[in-house]
Amino acid sequence: MSRSLVSKAISRELIWIALSLGIFLFFAWLTGHWVIIIVLYLVLYVARQVWSLYQFEAWLRGDSDVVAPSSGFWQTLCFFISRQRRTLEKRADLQNSKSEQFHAASMALPIAIVSLTKNHKIEWFNNAAQTLLSIKPSDTGRKLETLVRQPEFIQYLKQKEFEKPLFLEAFMGQTRTYRCEIFDYYHGHRLLMLEDVHELYNLAKIRKDFVANASHELRTPLTVVNGYLEMMIDMTDQIPDFWEKPLGQMHHQSLRMQAIIEDLLTLSKIESDTLVNATKVVKVDEVLKNIEVDIRYLYSNDYDIYFSIEEGLTLKGVEEPLKSVFTNLISNAFRYTPKEGEVSVRWFSDTLGSHFEVEDTGIGISKEHLSRLTERFYRVDTARSRESGGTGLGLAIVKHVLERHDSELKIQSQVGKGSVFRCDFL
Amino acid sequence: MQKKEFSSHISNQLNRNLEELFNHILEMGGMVENQLDMALSALENADAKVAKEVVRFDKVINQAEMEIDRLCIRVLARQQPTASDLRLILATIRIAIDLERMGDEVCKLAKLVIKFHKNDPGVCANYAGYAELVDITTRSREMLKVTLNAFARVSAEDAMSILDQEDVVDHVYEKACKNVTEQFKKNPENVESLLEVMTALRASERLSDHALNIMESIIYLVQGKDVRNMDQERLTKFLEKI
Repeated sequence: MSRSLVSKAISRELIWIALSLGIFLFFAWLTGHWVIIIVLYLVLYVARQVWSLYQFEAWLRGDSDVVAPSSGFWQTLCFFISRQRRTLEKRADLQNSKSEQFHAASMALPIAIVSLTKNHKIEWFNNAAQTLLSIKPSDTGRKLETLVRQPEFIQYLKQKEFEKPLFLEAFMGQTRTYRCEIFDYYHGHRLLMLEDVHELYNLAKIRKDFVANASHELRTPLTVVNGYLEMMIDMTDQIPDFWEKPLGQMHHQSLRMQAIIEDLLTLSKIESDTLVNATKVVKVDEVLKNIEVDIRYLYSNDYDIYFSIEEGLTLKGVEEPLKSVFTNLISNAFRYTPKEGEVSVRWFSDTLGSHFEVEDTGIGISKEHLSRLTERFYRVDTARSRESGGTGLGLAIVKHVLERHDSELKIQSQVGKGSVFRCDFL
Repeated sequence: MQKKEFSSHISNQLNRNLEELFNHILEMGGMVENQLDMALSALENADAKVAKEVVRFDKVINQAEMEIDRLCIRVLARQQPTASDLRLILATIRIAIDLERMGDEVCKLAKLVIKFHKNDPGVCANYAGYAELVDITTRSREMLKVTLNAFARVSAEDAMSILDQEDVVDHVYEKACKNVTEQFKKNPENVESLLEVMTALRASERLSDHALNIMESIIYLVQGKDVRNMDQERLTKFLEKI
């Protein structure tokens, strides 16, 4: 609407006044009762305004039989108000349909969702929750633990912080695996998510079992092959010369296979939780000193080796796996550093916690490989890795062991300059 | 009393105590449910390891009963509740006793598994009455779930279904008894094992009785009427009225 000097409402009112006053003045001119007519006009004008005000109030209040005042100034005013009202209604409709859509989406999800108050009272839930937890719409406002009474579940619900999801092997009388997770959301409310993960869980279990069994079964035949190969290599006088090289290679490869199988078994042992049972104080400084002796014996001719170990700095954990973390990281550094390079190992503490760090001046790793480095059998450069004799499982083991110790592997690397592998124990 | 609200009292402390009591009894119910689930899987798979856990779990349930008693006494002594609150406390005490007894009966089932496992692992499924034993236990498990849900919702709507289930259980029990007695006559050399099965059958049948008792306590809580000594016809009529 264009803005003029006098607003539309006022100009309407002025036109109305001019017209009506003109008629009255015409009558006054006809009759000659000037004073009476003008007073009459003023009285009528005020009466009209009061009547319009009254109507306006009734209209705003929403009385159904009242029509908005429709003359002069009031008409424009009412027009503006009703226009504003309509926009608001439209927006509310939009919001409504949006929230309804949102509601419908949450209802259609296959995962059971229940919203809880701080005291675990049920606020709303979706269709999947109705069937999975067997709760009814009339149960809103009840405490969830009165209806879902599994002891582990209640214990999980009573926790203050929900970091890890809960896996239930049996739930509500069904022996399937469920994954249950609670989040804090929206001003102290809580969202419970429950999902049937039986198939996935089973698959993962089958995979783990398969790897463990297969590696175990492969170990024995391989030992036999290896033993005979060693015997044949020792009997050099009875074996033709041209077999010497093939035999050496066969022996080398079978040793590699053995190493892979050992690593696979270690991995599956870590995965099946047998290692978490007894955490003790591990004297990391002594462990590292022992490793240092071996390392210096093996590599000190070709590399500059620096060890800096803080005396008496210990760690709570399990010794054997931790040792394999340290040896894996250190031997990796040598494996990927050309001769005449530098490798330094540090074990130190600061205000944040204890840290283990291995720095080398090796070939480095480019960025795109970093995130996948701890996957099993992941190779940055396939040819080179085979040559250097790694099993491809070292960093996977490191990752798993560190997870068990609430730590994680951090890698910084620059291609051609070297890498830093670091574990922070908090 | 359709929906129990724990905010209807001027005394906040009473509200809190009653709610705590209410939650405790259901938590204990959850434990018994869990124990019964474990016992069932032990029965089905002849798993002595799980059965031993069931027996061990009984101690926790006994503890829970004592805790509920303590809470009841505290409320009675300090706040002297009346009307529906008093009924809630009375019902709670009764339900706690029934639940504790159920825990004991479940232990008997588990002990059967342990004994059979010791004698000859994996054969208990062949004994007469074993299928019925699993059947009755499964039904009792369902009954317990329904009753506890009824308590959580403070409604006696499902009472009829419990009565029907109880009839079915009685029927199955009778049939199982007949089977076992026949076996007694046919294979006198198996008397010891059959006696064990008999004890377990009795225990599982008692489970359903206790579930029914709990339902009666709930009816008392909701309707304020003691239905324990009503005959079948009057009880059915009364329940239909609800």
